[in-house]
Amino acid sequence: MLPFGYAIRNLMRDPARLLQAVLGSGLVVLMVMIAAAINNGMVGVLSASGSAKNIILLGAGSEESVLRSEISDRTAGIAESSITGLEKQVDVRAVSPEIHQMSFIAIDSNDRKQAFMRGVTPRALLVHQGVSVQAGHYVRPGQVMVGRLAWRRLGLPEEALQPGAEIWVEGTPMTIAGIFAAPGTVMESEIWMDLNDLRSMSLREHLSCVVLRLDTGEFEDIDLFTKQRLDLELAALRESDYFAKIAAFYAPIRGMTWMTALLIATGALLGGLNTLYAAFAPRIREIATLQAIGFGRRAILFSLVQESTITTLCGALVASFVAIGLLDGIAVSFSIGSFILSVSPSVAMAGLMTGLGLGLVGAIPPGLRCLLPPLPSALRSAG
Amino acid sequence: MNENNNVLIRCHELTKNYKKGNRLVTPLEKLDLEVKRGEFLALMGPSGSGKTTLLNLIAGIDQPSEGVLEVCGEDIGKLSRSKLARWRAAHVGYIFQLYHLVPVLTAFENVELPLLLSNMSRRDRRERVEHTLSLVGLDGRMHHYPKELSGGQEQRVAIARALVASPELLVADEPTGDLDREAADSVLQLLHQLVEEYDKTIVMVTHDPRAAERAGRLLHLEKGRLLETEAG
Repeated sequence: MLPFGYAIRNLMRDPARLLQAVLGSGLVVLMVMIAAAINNGMVGVLSASGSAKNIILLGAGSEESVLRSEISDRTAGIAESSITGLEKQVDVRAVSPEIHQMSFIAIDSNDRKQAFMRGVTPRALLVHQGVSVQAGHYVRPGQVMVGRLAWRRLGLPEEALQPGAEIWVEGTPMTIAGIFAAPGTVMESEIWMDLNDLRSMSLREHLSCVVLRLDTGEFEDIDLFTKQRLDLELAALRESDYFAKIAAFYAPIRGMTWMTALLIATGALLGGLNTLYAAFAPRIREIATLQAIGFGRRAILFSLVQESTITTLCGALVASFVAIGLLDGIAVSFSIGSFILSVSPSVAMAGLMTGLGLGLVGAIPPGLRCLLPPLPSALRSAG
Repeated sequence: MNENNNVLIRCHELTKNYKKGNRLVTPLEKLDLEVKRGEFLALMGPSGSGKTTLLNLIAGIDQPSEGVLEVCGEDIGKLSRSKLARWRAAHVGYIFQLYHLVPVLTAFENVELPLLLSNMSRRDRRERVEHTLSLVGLDGRMHHYPKELSGGQEQRVAIARALVASPELLVADEPTGDLDREAADSVLQLLHQLVEEYDKTIVMVTHDPRAAERAGRLLHLEKGRLLETEAG
């Protein structure tokens, strides 16, 4: 084997080229880390948004989207009295009638934004147990309560959605009562208001859904209930299954993110190959000399791979610092919510593996190009 | 030692040809040659006469197209590329006209390279390298990089590198071709010393008649054939 120091010192032959290679590979790694963080964030927020203990009763045929669902107002009361095994707190059953809809909101008359509104009663907190009020108080009639990432989802300044501020919902002024958190879920991008306020504002006679929280009950019992009460035209879905379907809906978008990262990485890899060709080409004679001394091609190729791998791992390190400094904690919006980008161990590992892969794969073609010419002609080449 | 055992290099009807476009080029044709152990052989001839081709074949850098080539008791014409690399490491030291030192390694590290292919301990390697560098008169320049050495000193480092693993055979391709008169004399003196005192066998290609004079035997090649043999 050639000494490791040989690989290290070769890197310093041309500091400008080394810097170019480190930054180039760093950019590729950063792209992959961004793609991984977006993918993780989206999957994470969608999977955390649904609890397996929560069952959504929604209109039969509207299982793909609660927004399209309409069910009878009576459903909440009938479900509460008919279904056993629901969670209870101080004799109040965890049954939350809700209206979900997209509404226009504005902080001034000219700037309308479409927001996800959820009409709720105080019972919503019994089913959505991850929700906690961070500032102000829970929503009352005439008021709204905003998720802590709603400003990001709506593209508004954070100060615009503070308790006490006023917003217009479908042209009606409402006061912000509080800010709530629901860590890692899409609810953090929503705006909640009183169920009856939203019903009258949207001129709806029906609910979107009823959310139940199971204690000792089984999903199958609720499913049976929906099949027995054909008059209500209901379907039951585990909340976790509902969000799994949404996650599946977004899979092509996540795939596009990966594809973009992959295409950029491939382009950069080809560019990187040129850099390595240029770095190795003047060393054909030196490499031939090592072969003449008795070093095998494999040992020399291993040393060249060490060089490129050290370079790309340095790039990965730079990319990781950039990601931690600039990426970590950034809120990203998508159509149904927002999530926070995080440089998690899996994202860091994706970056590291990309750096490693670039180094391993990148050195082989230019390395072979230097190793394959016949020794006599390689020894005569310009050194 | 009988006559056969004393022969280090034996070429019989050695031919090398290769294709250049549609043309078959034969730089070496049916060459017969024997070189004894401890000989200092010089090869001379005009450009294209086949002397470097012969040197590369003897050093295991290239492989013959036809004929027999036995060096150090091995028919190296039949070895695979990887076996040939191992064989070179064990039996041959190559001295190049332009030294071919690795620029990022010090003189010490350059000389140490062939020993990395052996199982020698770090301490033994250090002792061997120091000894070899002192043999070529460079014990004070061990930690200098090639760019910090003169041409003559670089060639001495190259000789030390060729010598350090104690190969039976040293091959030198115009070892003085890039040196001034004084440095060339000094290098030739060193090669002569290696034959006389250390019983090395040297095959040297040269254009320089003064260098050829130092050899014990001189061969002239022309158009791939051996012309004459004379004492150096």
